[in-house]
Amino acid sequence: MAEKKISKKALSRAFHHWYYGNLTCFTQEHMQTFGYLASMLPIIEDLYDNKEDQQRSMNTYTAFFNTEPQLGALVVGITAGLEEARANGAGDVDDETINGLRAGLMGPIAGIGDSLVVGTLIPVLLGIALGLSTGGSPVGAIFYIVVWNLLAYFGMKLAYMKGYELGGKAVDFLVGPQGLAIRKSVGIVGGMVVGAVAATWVSVKTSFVLKNAAGEAFLVLQDQIDAVYPGLLTAIFIVFCWWLMAKKNVSPIKVMLLLVVIAFVGVFLGFFNPGLQY
Amino acid sequence: MTISWIQAALLGLFACLASMPGLGGTSIGNYTLGRPLVGGLVCGLILGDMKTGILCGVAMQVVYIALVTPGGTVSADVRAISYIGIPLAMVAIKTQGLDPASVEGTGLATSMGTLVGTVGTVLFYGTATLNLAWQHYGWNAITKGDFHKVYLVDWVLPWISHILFSFIPTLIMCKLGASAVTALKTALPMDGLAMKTLFTVGSLLPCVGIAILLKQIVENVVDFIPFFVGFTLAASLGLNLVSSAVISLIFATLYYQLEMIKSTRVAVASGDFDDEEEDI
Repeated sequence: MAEKKISKKALSRAFHHWYYGNLTCFTQEHMQTFGYLASMLPIIEDLYDNKEDQQRSMNTYTAFFNTEPQLGALVVGITAGLEEARANGAGDVDDETINGLRAGLMGPIAGIGDSLVVGTLIPVLLGIALGLSTGGSPVGAIFYIVVWNLLAYFGMKLAYMKGYELGGKAVDFLVGPQGLAIRKSVGIVGGMVVGAVAATWVSVKTSFVLKNAAGEAFLVLQDQIDAVYPGLLTAIFIVFCWWLMAKKNVSPIKVMLLLVVIAFVGVFLGFFNPGLQY
Repeated sequence: MTISWIQAALLGLFACLASMPGLGGTSIGNYTLGRPLVGGLVCGLILGDMKTGILCGVAMQVVYIALVTPGGTVSADVRAISYIGIPLAMVAIKTQGLDPASVEGTGLATSMGTLVGTVGTVLFYGTATLNLAWQHYGWNAITKGDFHKVYLVDWVLPWISHILFSFIPTLIMCKLGASAVTALKTALPMDGLAMKTLFTVGSLLPCVGIAILLKQIVENVVDFIPFFVGFTLAASLGLNLVSSAVISLIFATLYYQLEMIKSTRVAVASGDFDDEEEDI
Protein backbone atom coordinates (compact mmCIF):
# COMPACT_ATOMS: atom_id res chain seq x y z
CA MET A 1 0.00 0.00 0.00
CA ALA A 2 1.34 3.40 -0.98
CA GLU A 3 1.96 5.83 1.82
CA LYS A 4 -0.93 8.23 2.30
CA LYS A 5 -0.23 11.92 2.13
CA ILE A 6 -2.67 14.76 2.68
CA SER A 7 -3.18 16.51 -0.65
CA LYS A 8 -2.10 20.15 -0.91
CA LYS A 9 -5.67 21.14 -1.65
CA ALA A 10 -7.09 19.45 1.44
CA LEU A 11 -4.38 20.94 3.64
CA SER A 12 -5.05 24.41 2.30
CA ARG A 13 -8.81 24.00 2.82
CA ALA A 14 -8.22 22.78 6.35
CA PHE A 15 -6.05 25.80 7.14
CA HIS A 16 -8.60 28.26 5.76
CA HIS A 17 -11.41 26.60 7.68
CA TRP A 18 -9.43 27.21 10.86
CA TYR A 19 -8.36 30.73 9.85
CA TYR A 20 -11.99 31.73 9.35
CA GLY A 21 -14.07 29.52 11.59
CA ASN A 22 -12.04 28.97 14.77
CA LEU A 23 -14.49 30.91 16.91
CA THR A 24 -17.56 31.47 14.74
CA CYS A 25 -19.67 28.95 16.67
CA PHE A 26 -18.25 29.83 20.10
CA THR A 27 -20.03 28.66 23.23
CA GLN A 28 -18.90 28.64 26.84
CA GLU A 29 -19.33 24.87 26.84
CA HIS A 30 -17.19 23.75 23.91
CA MET A 31 -15.51 27.00 22.78
CA GLN A 32 -13.43 26.20 19.67
CA THR A 33 -14.41 22.55 19.23
CA PHE A 34 -16.60 23.08 16.16
CA GLY A 35 -13.97 25.27 14.52
CA TYR A 36 -11.56 22.39 15.08
CA LEU A 37 -13.95 19.83 13.56
CA ALA A 38 -14.57 22.04 10.53
CA SER A 39 -10.83 22.29 10.02
CA MET A 40 -10.13 18.55 10.40
CA LEU A 41 -12.97 17.39 8.15
CA PRO A 42 -11.24 18.04 4.78
CA ILE A 43 -8.16 16.15 6.04
CA ILE A 44 -10.17 13.22 7.36
CA GLU A 45 -12.09 12.92 4.09
CA ASP A 46 -8.87 13.12 2.16
CA LEU A 47 -7.12 10.39 4.18
CA TYR A 48 -9.92 7.86 4.68
CA ASP A 49 -12.35 6.41 2.18
CA ASN A 50 -14.45 4.27 4.47
CA LYS A 51 -17.04 5.65 6.83
CA GLU A 52 -15.84 3.81 9.95
CA ASP A 53 -12.39 5.38 9.86
CA GLN A 54 -13.89 8.79 9.20
CA GLN A 55 -16.28 8.40 12.12
CA ARG A 56 -13.50 7.29 14.47
CA SER A 57 -11.29 10.22 13.52
CA MET A 58 -14.09 12.79 13.73
CA ASN A 59 -14.92 11.51 17.22
CA THR A 60 -11.32 12.18 18.28
CA TYR A 61 -11.77 15.90 17.67
CA THR A 62 -15.06 16.26 19.50
CA ALA A 63 -13.07 16.77 22.72
CA PHE A 64 -13.07 20.24 24.23
CA PHE A 65 -10.61 22.70 22.71
CA ASN A 66 -9.78 26.32 23.47
CA THR A 67 -6.59 28.31 23.04
CA GLU A 68 -5.39 31.57 21.49
CA PRO A 69 -6.72 30.75 18.01
CA GLN A 70 -4.05 32.53 15.99
CA LEU A 71 -0.99 30.94 17.51
CA GLY A 72 -3.22 27.90 18.05
CA ALA A 73 -3.02 27.20 14.30
CA LEU A 74 0.21 25.45 15.28
CA VAL A 75 -1.70 22.85 17.30
CA VAL A 76 -4.20 22.26 14.50
CA GLY A 77 -1.30 21.78 12.10
CA ILE A 78 0.38 19.29 14.44
CA THR A 79 -2.78 17.18 14.65
CA ALA A 80 -3.06 17.22 10.84
CA GLY A 81 0.39 15.63 10.79
CA LEU A 82 -0.59 13.12 13.48
CA GLU A 83 -3.76 12.16 11.61
CA GLU A 84 -1.65 11.49 8.55
CA ALA A 85 0.62 9.26 10.62
CA ARG A 86 -2.40 7.39 11.97
CA ALA A 87 -3.74 6.85 8.45
CA ASN A 88 -0.39 5.27 7.59
CA GLY A 89 -0.81 2.80 10.38
CA ALA A 90 1.50 4.31 12.98
CA GLY A 91 0.53 2.14 15.94
CA ASP A 92 1.49 4.65 18.60
CA VAL A 93 -0.89 7.34 17.31
CA ASP A 94 -4.34 6.86 18.82
CA ASP A 95 -7.10 9.01 20.33
CA GLU A 96 -5.16 9.26 23.56
CA THR A 97 -1.96 10.51 21.93
CA ILE A 98 -3.79 13.13 19.88
CA ASN A 99 -6.04 14.39 22.64
CA GLY A 100 -3.29 14.24 25.24
CA LEU A 101 -1.19 16.47 23.03
CA ARG A 102 -4.06 18.85 22.32
CA ALA A 103 -4.97 19.15 25.98
CA GLY A 104 -1.34 19.60 26.97
CA LEU A 105 -0.74 22.34 24.42
CA MET A 106 -3.85 24.50 24.74
CA GLY A 107 -2.78 26.07 28.03
CA PRO A 108 0.81 27.03 27.14
CA ILE A 109 -0.14 28.15 23.62
CA ALA A 110 -2.97 30.31 25.01
CA GLY A 111 -0.54 31.89 27.48
CA ILE A 112 2.11 32.60 24.86
CA GLY A 113 -0.44 33.72 22.26
CA ASP A 114 -2.31 36.02 24.63
CA SER A 115 0.84 37.75 25.81
CA LEU A 116 2.69 37.81 22.49
CA VAL A 117 -0.05 38.34 19.88
CA VAL A 118 -2.92 39.96 21.76
CA GLY A 119 -0.87 41.59 24.52
CA THR A 120 2.11 42.83 22.51
CA LEU A 121 1.84 42.68 18.72
CA ILE A 122 -1.68 44.12 18.44
CA PRO A 123 -1.13 46.95 20.99
CA VAL A 124 2.17 47.91 19.30
CA LEU A 125 0.50 48.04 15.87
CA LEU A 126 -2.47 49.93 17.32
CA GLY A 127 -0.13 52.33 19.13
CA ILE A 128 1.62 53.17 15.89
CA ALA A 129 -1.75 53.42 14.10
CA LEU A 130 -3.09 55.80 16.77
CA GLY A 131 -0.15 58.10 16.12
CA LEU A 132 -0.85 58.05 12.39
CA SER A 133 -4.56 58.81 12.94
CA THR A 134 -3.95 61.92 15.07
CA GLY A 135 -6.26 64.68 13.94
CA GLY A 136 -8.76 62.28 12.40
CA SER A 137 -6.70 60.93 9.51
CA PRO A 138 -7.73 57.49 8.17
CA VAL A 139 -4.07 56.56 7.52
CA GLY A 140 -3.59 54.92 10.93
CA ALA A 141 -6.71 52.78 10.65
CA ILE A 142 -5.76 51.67 7.13
CA PHE A 143 -2.18 50.96 8.27
CA TYR A 144 -3.52 48.71 11.03
CA ILE A 145 -5.99 46.90 8.74
CA VAL A 146 -3.31 46.10 6.15
CA VAL A 147 -0.33 45.28 8.39
CA TRP A 148 -2.26 43.28 10.98
CA ASN A 149 -4.13 41.18 8.43
CA LEU A 150 -1.01 40.35 6.45
CA LEU A 151 0.81 39.35 9.64
CA ALA A 152 -2.18 37.38 10.95
CA TYR A 153 -2.81 35.49 7.72
CA PHE A 154 0.76 34.58 6.84
CA GLY A 155 1.75 34.11 10.48
CA MET A 156 -1.09 31.64 11.02
CA LYS A 157 -0.32 29.88 7.74
CA LEU A 158 3.33 29.54 8.79
CA ALA A 159 2.33 28.22 12.21
CA TYR A 160 -0.07 25.70 10.68
CA MET A 161 2.36 24.40 8.05
CA LYS A 162 5.27 24.26 10.53
CA GLY A 163 3.05 22.34 12.92
CA TYR A 164 2.17 19.88 10.14
CA GLU A 165 5.77 19.42 9.01
CA LEU A 166 7.61 19.43 12.32
CA GLY A 167 5.01 18.03 14.69
CA GLY A 168 6.16 18.15 18.29
CA LYS A 169 9.49 19.79 17.36
CA ALA A 170 7.62 23.02 16.58
CA VAL A 171 6.56 23.17 20.22
CA ASP A 172 10.09 22.61 21.48
CA PHE A 173 11.14 25.76 19.70
CA LEU A 174 8.38 27.81 21.31
CA VAL A 175 9.03 26.68 24.86
CA GLY A 176 12.79 26.12 24.50
CA PRO A 177 15.49 28.58 25.61
CA GLN A 178 15.62 30.41 22.26
CA GLY A 179 11.85 30.81 22.16
CA LEU A 180 11.91 32.11 25.71
CA ALA A 181 14.67 34.63 24.93
CA ILE A 182 12.73 35.89 21.89
CA ARG A 183 9.55 36.21 23.91
CA LYS A 184 11.27 38.14 26.67
CA SER A 185 12.96 40.56 24.28
CA VAL A 186 9.71 41.12 22.39
CA GLY A 187 8.24 41.90 25.82
CA ILE A 188 10.75 44.76 26.18
CA VAL A 189 9.60 46.30 22.90
CA GLY A 190 6.00 45.84 24.06
CA GLY A 191 6.66 47.43 27.44
CA MET A 192 8.38 50.48 26.00
CA VAL A 193 5.77 51.06 23.31
CA VAL A 194 2.98 50.73 25.86
CA GLY A 195 4.79 53.31 28.01
CA ALA A 196 4.96 55.66 25.04
CA VAL A 197 1.27 55.02 24.25
CA ALA A 198 0.37 55.85 27.84
CA ALA A 199 2.38 59.08 27.85
CA THR A 200 1.01 60.16 24.47
CA TRP A 201 -2.65 59.22 24.75
CA VAL A 202 -3.53 59.20 28.42
CA SER A 203 -3.65 62.52 30.21
CA VAL A 204 -4.72 62.91 33.82
CA LYS A 205 -4.43 66.53 34.92
CA THR A 206 -5.43 68.40 38.03
CA SER A 207 -6.94 71.88 38.09
CA PHE A 208 -5.99 72.40 41.73
CA VAL A 209 -4.75 75.95 42.33
CA LEU A 210 -3.98 77.84 45.53
CA LYS A 211 -4.58 81.59 45.37
CA ASN A 212 -3.33 84.38 47.62
CA ALA A 213 -5.50 87.17 49.02
CA ALA A 214 -5.18 89.23 45.84
CA GLY A 215 -6.53 86.33 43.81
CA GLU A 216 -3.22 85.51 42.12
CA ALA A 217 -2.32 81.87 41.84
CA PHE A 218 0.82 81.03 43.80
CA LEU A 219 0.58 77.26 43.49
CA VAL A 220 -0.51 75.62 40.26
CA LEU A 221 -0.30 71.96 41.26
CA GLN A 222 -0.13 70.60 37.70
CA ASP A 223 2.93 72.77 36.92
CA GLN A 224 4.63 71.58 40.10
CA ILE A 225 3.96 67.94 39.21
CA ASP A 226 5.28 68.38 35.68
CA ALA A 227 8.43 69.97 37.09
CA VAL A 228 9.11 66.77 39.03
CA TYR A 229 8.33 64.29 36.25
CA PRO A 230 6.15 65.08 33.24
CA GLY A 231 3.01 62.97 33.29
CA LEU A 232 3.52 61.87 36.91
CA LEU A 233 -0.19 62.03 37.74
CA THR A 234 -1.04 59.86 34.72
CA ALA A 235 1.64 57.35 35.74
CA ILE A 236 0.35 57.25 39.33
CA PHE A 237 -3.18 56.49 38.17
CA ILE A 238 -1.99 53.73 35.82
CA VAL A 239 0.12 52.05 38.51
CA PHE A 240 -2.78 52.40 40.95
CA CYS A 241 -5.14 50.62 38.50
CA TRP A 242 -2.51 47.95 37.86
CA TRP A 243 -2.02 47.44 41.60
CA LEU A 244 -5.76 47.03 42.15
CA MET A 245 -6.13 44.49 39.35
CA ALA A 246 -2.85 42.57 39.62
CA LYS A 247 -2.27 42.61 43.38
CA LYS A 248 -5.77 42.97 44.81
CA ASN A 249 -7.61 40.95 42.12
CA VAL A 250 -10.18 43.68 41.55
CA SER A 251 -12.08 43.19 38.28
CA PRO A 252 -11.69 45.83 35.53
CA ILE A 253 -15.36 46.79 35.82
CA LYS A 254 -15.00 47.48 39.55
CA VAL A 255 -11.87 49.55 38.91
CA MET A 256 -13.84 51.57 36.37
CA LEU A 257 -16.62 52.15 38.90
CA LEU A 258 -14.05 53.24 41.47
CA LEU A 259 -12.70 55.77 38.94
CA VAL A 260 -16.22 57.17 38.55
CA VAL A 261 -16.30 57.74 42.32
CA ILE A 262 -12.83 59.31 42.29
CA ALA A 263 -13.86 61.58 39.41
CA PHE A 264 -17.03 62.65 41.21
CA VAL A 265 -15.22 63.45 44.47
CA GLY A 266 -12.38 65.11 42.55
CA VAL A 267 -14.74 67.37 40.62
CA PHE A 268 -16.63 68.17 43.83
CA LEU A 269 -13.43 69.21 45.63
CA GLY A 270 -12.10 71.14 42.65
CA PHE A 271 -9.21 68.75 42.04
CA PHE A 272 -10.51 67.91 38.57
CA ASN A 273 -12.19 70.36 36.25
CA PRO A 274 -12.42 69.60 32.55
CA GLY A 275 -13.29 73.30 32.01
CA LEU A 276 -16.37 72.87 29.89
CA GLN A 277 -18.89 75.34 28.62
CA TYR A 278 -21.24 75.72 25.70
CA MET B 1 -26.69 64.58 13.31
CA THR B 2 -29.21 61.76 13.03
CA ILE B 3 -28.90 58.09 12.10
CA SER B 4 -31.24 56.68 9.44
CA TRP B 5 -32.63 53.14 9.45
CA ILE B 6 -30.35 52.16 6.58
CA GLN B 7 -27.29 53.53 8.36
CA ALA B 8 -28.34 51.76 11.57
CA ALA B 9 -28.82 48.51 9.63
CA LEU B 10 -25.33 48.79 8.12
CA LEU B 11 -23.89 49.34 11.59
CA GLY B 12 -25.82 46.25 12.69
CA LEU B 13 -24.27 44.18 9.91
CA PHE B 14 -20.77 45.24 10.95
CA ALA B 15 -21.67 44.39 14.55
CA CYS B 16 -22.41 40.80 13.41
CA LEU B 17 -19.04 40.54 11.68
CA ALA B 18 -16.96 42.28 14.33
CA SER B 19 -17.98 40.65 17.57
CA MET B 20 -16.12 38.11 19.61
CA PRO B 21 -17.16 35.41 18.50
CA GLY B 22 -17.83 37.20 15.23
CA LEU B 23 -18.82 36.07 11.77
CA GLY B 24 -15.88 37.86 10.20
CA GLY B 25 -13.65 35.27 11.87
CA THR B 26 -11.17 36.01 14.64
CA SER B 27 -8.47 37.87 12.72
CA ILE B 28 -10.64 39.88 10.34
CA GLY B 29 -13.73 40.19 12.55
CA ASN B 30 -12.71 40.54 16.17
CA TYR B 31 -9.15 41.79 15.79
CA THR B 32 -9.69 44.06 12.76
CA LEU B 33 -13.29 45.27 12.43
CA GLY B 34 -13.85 45.04 16.18
CA ARG B 35 -10.99 47.38 17.12
CA PRO B 36 -12.43 50.82 17.93
CA LEU B 37 -9.88 52.53 15.65
CA VAL B 38 -11.14 50.53 12.64
CA GLY B 39 -14.72 50.83 13.92
CA GLY B 40 -14.24 54.60 13.95
CA LEU B 41 -13.27 54.53 10.29
CA VAL B 42 -16.24 52.31 9.35
CA CYS B 43 -18.76 54.32 11.43
CA GLY B 44 -17.34 57.56 10.04
CA LEU B 45 -17.81 56.31 6.47
CA ILE B 46 -21.34 55.03 7.16
CA LEU B 47 -22.45 58.22 8.92
CA GLY B 48 -20.70 60.49 6.45
CA ASP B 49 -18.23 62.14 8.84
CA MET B 50 -15.01 60.19 8.70
CA LYS B 51 -12.96 62.65 10.75
CA THR B 52 -15.29 62.61 13.76
CA GLY B 53 -15.59 58.83 13.49
CA ILE B 54 -11.85 58.29 13.58
CA LEU B 55 -11.34 60.76 16.43
CA CYS B 56 -13.96 58.90 18.51
CA GLY B 57 -12.35 55.59 17.52
CA VAL B 58 -8.90 56.83 18.59
CA ALA B 59 -10.26 57.96 21.98
CA MET B 60 -11.90 54.58 22.67
CA GLN B 61 -9.02 52.55 21.28
CA VAL B 62 -6.76 53.77 24.09
CA VAL B 63 -9.17 52.35 26.68
CA TYR B 64 -9.35 49.03 24.87
CA ILE B 65 -5.78 48.79 23.63
CA ALA B 66 -5.41 45.41 25.30
CA LEU B 67 -8.69 43.60 25.10
CA VAL B 68 -7.39 40.18 26.03
CA THR B 69 -10.12 37.59 26.53
CA PRO B 70 -8.38 34.82 28.48
CA GLY B 71 -10.41 31.62 28.52
CA GLY B 72 -13.34 33.30 26.80
CA THR B 73 -14.11 35.72 29.62
CA VAL B 74 -14.92 39.20 28.42
CA SER B 75 -14.99 42.46 30.35
CA ALA B 76 -16.23 44.51 27.40
CA ASP B 77 -17.93 43.71 24.11
CA VAL B 78 -16.22 44.98 20.95
CA ARG B 79 -19.34 45.07 18.80
CA ALA B 80 -21.05 47.32 21.36
CA ILE B 81 -18.03 49.63 21.74
CA SER B 82 -17.33 49.99 18.04
CA TYR B 83 -20.77 49.90 16.43
CA ILE B 84 -23.08 51.26 19.15
CA GLY B 85 -20.73 53.36 21.31
CA ILE B 86 -18.92 55.17 18.50
CA PRO B 87 -22.05 56.16 16.49
CA LEU B 88 -23.75 57.44 19.66
CA ALA B 89 -20.61 59.31 20.73
CA MET B 90 -20.45 60.91 17.28
CA VAL B 91 -24.06 62.07 17.56
CA ALA B 92 -23.45 63.34 21.10
CA ILE B 93 -20.35 65.29 20.11
CA LYS B 94 -22.13 66.81 17.12
CA THR B 95 -25.24 67.81 19.05
CA GLN B 96 -23.20 69.25 21.93
CA GLY B 97 -21.33 71.30 19.37
CA LEU B 98 -17.97 70.04 20.62
CA ASP B 99 -14.76 69.83 18.68
CA PRO B 100 -14.16 66.05 18.34
CA ALA B 101 -10.39 66.60 18.58
CA SER B 102 -10.63 68.49 21.88
CA VAL B 103 -10.19 67.04 25.37
CA GLU B 104 -13.94 67.41 25.96
CA GLY B 105 -14.76 65.57 22.74
CA THR B 106 -12.53 62.59 23.47
CA GLY B 107 -13.65 62.54 27.12
CA LEU B 108 -17.28 62.27 26.07
CA ALA B 109 -16.49 59.58 23.49
CA THR B 110 -14.53 57.55 26.04
CA SER B 111 -17.20 57.68 28.73
CA MET B 112 -19.95 56.73 26.32
CA GLY B 113 -18.02 53.94 24.63
CA THR B 114 -17.00 52.37 27.92
CA LEU B 115 -20.52 52.48 29.32
CA VAL B 116 -21.99 50.86 26.21
CA GLY B 117 -19.10 48.37 25.98
CA THR B 118 -19.55 47.18 29.54
CA VAL B 119 -23.33 46.84 29.26
CA GLY B 120 -22.78 45.13 25.88
CA THR B 121 -21.15 42.07 27.47
CA VAL B 122 -24.71 40.77 27.77
CA LEU B 123 -24.71 40.50 23.95
CA PHE B 124 -21.62 38.28 24.13
CA TYR B 125 -23.25 35.90 26.58
CA GLY B 126 -26.47 35.91 24.55
CA THR B 127 -24.67 34.90 21.36
CA ALA B 128 -22.58 32.22 23.05
CA THR B 129 -25.62 30.75 24.80
CA LEU B 130 -27.77 30.51 21.67
CA ASN B 131 -24.85 28.85 19.84
CA LEU B 132 -25.28 25.94 22.28
CA ALA B 133 -28.44 25.00 20.38
CA TRP B 134 -26.55 24.80 17.06
CA GLN B 135 -23.78 22.75 18.65
CA HIS B 136 -26.34 20.33 20.07
CA TYR B 137 -27.70 19.89 16.55
CA GLY B 138 -24.11 19.38 15.34
CA TRP B 139 -23.35 16.61 17.85
CA ASN B 140 -26.35 14.64 16.66
CA ALA B 141 -25.28 15.02 13.04
CA ILE B 142 -21.75 13.79 13.81
CA THR B 143 -23.08 10.75 15.68
CA LYS B 144 -25.19 9.92 12.61
CA GLY B 145 -22.16 10.30 10.35
CA ASP B 146 -23.54 13.38 8.63
CA PHE B 147 -20.21 15.23 8.86
CA HIS B 148 -20.90 18.07 6.46
CA LYS B 149 -23.43 19.50 8.91
CA VAL B 150 -20.34 20.68 10.82
CA TYR B 151 -19.91 23.46 8.26
CA LEU B 152 -23.54 24.48 8.66
CA VAL B 153 -23.13 24.59 12.43
CA ASP B 154 -19.83 26.45 12.41
CA TRP B 155 -20.48 29.01 9.67
CA VAL B 156 -24.19 29.42 8.92
CA LEU B 157 -26.39 28.82 11.96
CA PRO B 158 -24.52 31.34 14.19
CA TRP B 159 -25.95 34.02 11.90
CA ILE B 160 -29.28 33.46 13.66
CA SER B 161 -27.59 34.14 17.01
CA HIS B 162 -26.07 37.29 15.56
CA ILE B 163 -29.26 38.60 14.04
CA LEU B 164 -30.83 38.36 17.50
CA PHE B 165 -27.89 39.53 19.61
CA SER B 166 -25.87 41.78 17.28
CA PHE B 167 -27.98 43.10 14.44
CA ILE B 168 -31.25 43.94 16.21
CA PRO B 169 -29.69 45.49 19.38
CA THR B 170 -27.36 47.64 17.26
CA LEU B 171 -30.16 48.70 14.94
CA ILE B 172 -32.43 49.74 17.80
CA MET B 173 -29.75 51.31 20.01
CA CYS B 174 -28.35 53.42 17.16
CA LYS B 175 -31.76 54.50 15.95
CA LEU B 176 -33.33 55.29 19.32
CA GLY B 177 -30.13 56.16 21.18
CA ALA B 178 -29.43 59.02 18.81
CA SER B 179 -32.54 60.94 19.88
CA ALA B 180 -31.91 60.06 23.54
CA VAL B 181 -28.42 61.51 23.27
CA THR B 182 -29.84 64.69 21.78
CA ALA B 183 -32.31 64.98 24.65
CA LEU B 184 -29.43 64.60 27.09
CA LYS B 185 -28.06 67.98 26.09
CA THR B 186 -31.04 69.85 27.49
CA ALA B 187 -31.27 67.63 30.57
CA LEU B 188 -27.66 67.96 31.70
CA PRO B 189 -25.88 71.30 31.47
CA MET B 190 -22.19 71.13 30.56
CA ASP B 191 -20.93 73.03 33.60
CA GLY B 192 -22.93 70.89 36.04
CA LEU B 193 -21.42 68.31 38.35
CA ALA B 194 -22.75 65.37 36.32
CA MET B 195 -21.17 66.38 33.02
CA LYS B 196 -17.91 67.44 34.66
CA THR B 197 -17.72 64.02 36.31
CA LEU B 198 -18.53 62.28 33.03
CA PHE B 199 -15.71 64.05 31.21
CA THR B 200 -13.25 63.47 34.06
CA VAL B 201 -14.10 59.77 34.03
CA GLY B 202 -13.38 59.85 30.31
CA SER B 203 -9.84 61.01 30.96
CA LEU B 204 -9.28 58.48 33.77
CA LEU B 205 -10.62 55.36 32.01
CA PRO B 206 -7.70 54.87 29.60
CA CYS B 207 -5.57 54.19 32.72
CA VAL B 208 -7.52 50.95 33.15
CA GLY B 209 -6.79 49.89 29.56
CA ILE B 210 -3.05 50.48 30.00
CA ALA B 211 -3.14 48.75 33.39
CA ILE B 212 -4.76 45.63 31.89
CA LEU B 213 -1.93 45.52 29.38
CA LEU B 214 0.65 45.95 32.15
CA LYS B 215 -0.93 43.04 33.98
CA GLN B 216 0.06 40.88 30.99
CA ILE B 217 3.62 42.21 30.84
CA VAL B 218 4.62 42.81 34.46
CA GLU B 219 5.49 39.74 36.50
CA ASN B 220 7.76 41.47 39.00
CA VAL B 221 8.51 45.13 39.69
CA VAL B 222 11.61 45.15 37.44
CA ASP B 223 9.31 44.63 34.44
CA PHE B 224 8.00 48.15 35.00
CA ILE B 225 11.33 49.58 33.81
CA PRO B 226 10.73 49.24 30.03
CA PHE B 227 7.29 50.78 30.53
CA PHE B 228 8.70 53.81 32.34
CA VAL B 229 11.56 54.23 29.88
CA GLY B 230 8.99 54.37 27.08
CA PHE B 231 6.81 56.70 29.13
CA THR B 232 9.76 59.04 29.72
CA LEU B 233 10.79 59.02 26.06
CA ALA B 234 7.31 60.19 25.05
CA ALA B 235 6.39 62.43 28.00
CA SER B 236 9.71 64.15 28.70
CA LEU B 237 11.52 63.93 25.36
CA GLY B 238 8.41 64.21 23.20
CA LEU B 239 9.29 61.26 20.94
CA ASN B 240 6.46 59.69 18.96
CA LEU B 241 5.54 56.01 19.03
CA VAL B 242 7.54 54.87 16.03
CA SER B 243 10.69 56.54 17.37
CA SER B 244 10.14 54.99 20.79
CA ALA B 245 9.63 51.58 19.17
CA VAL B 246 12.88 51.94 17.20
CA ILE B 247 14.82 52.81 20.37
CA SER B 248 13.29 49.81 22.14
CA LEU B 249 14.72 47.51 19.44
CA ILE B 250 18.30 48.05 20.63
CA PHE B 251 17.36 47.06 24.18
CA ALA B 252 15.48 44.02 22.89
CA THR B 253 18.49 42.92 20.82
CA LEU B 254 20.87 43.30 23.77
CA TYR B 255 18.49 41.41 26.01
CA TYR B 256 18.18 38.58 23.50
CA GLN B 257 21.97 38.23 23.18
CA LEU B 258 22.37 38.15 26.96
CA GLU B 259 19.66 35.53 27.38
CA MET B 260 21.25 33.34 24.72
CA ILE B 261 24.70 33.63 26.34
CA LYS B 262 23.12 32.76 29.66
CA SER B 263 21.40 29.65 28.29
CA THR B 264 24.57 28.34 26.56
CA ARG B 265 26.50 28.92 29.81
CA VAL B 266 23.94 26.91 31.73
CA ALA B 267 24.18 24.11 29.17
CA VAL B 268 27.99 24.05 29.38
CA ALA B 269 27.98 24.24 33.18
CA SER B 270 25.57 21.35 33.53
CA GLY B 271 27.72 19.41 31.04
CA ASP B 272 30.79 19.89 33.30
CA PHE B 273 28.83 18.75 36.26
CA ASP B 274 27.93 15.51 34.52
CA ASP B 275 31.60 14.84 33.74
CA GLU B 276 32.63 15.28 37.34
CA GLU B 277 29.97 12.90 38.44
CA GLU B 278 31.28 10.28 36.10
CA ASP B 279 34.79 10.70 37.53
CA ILE B 280 33.56 9.91 40.99
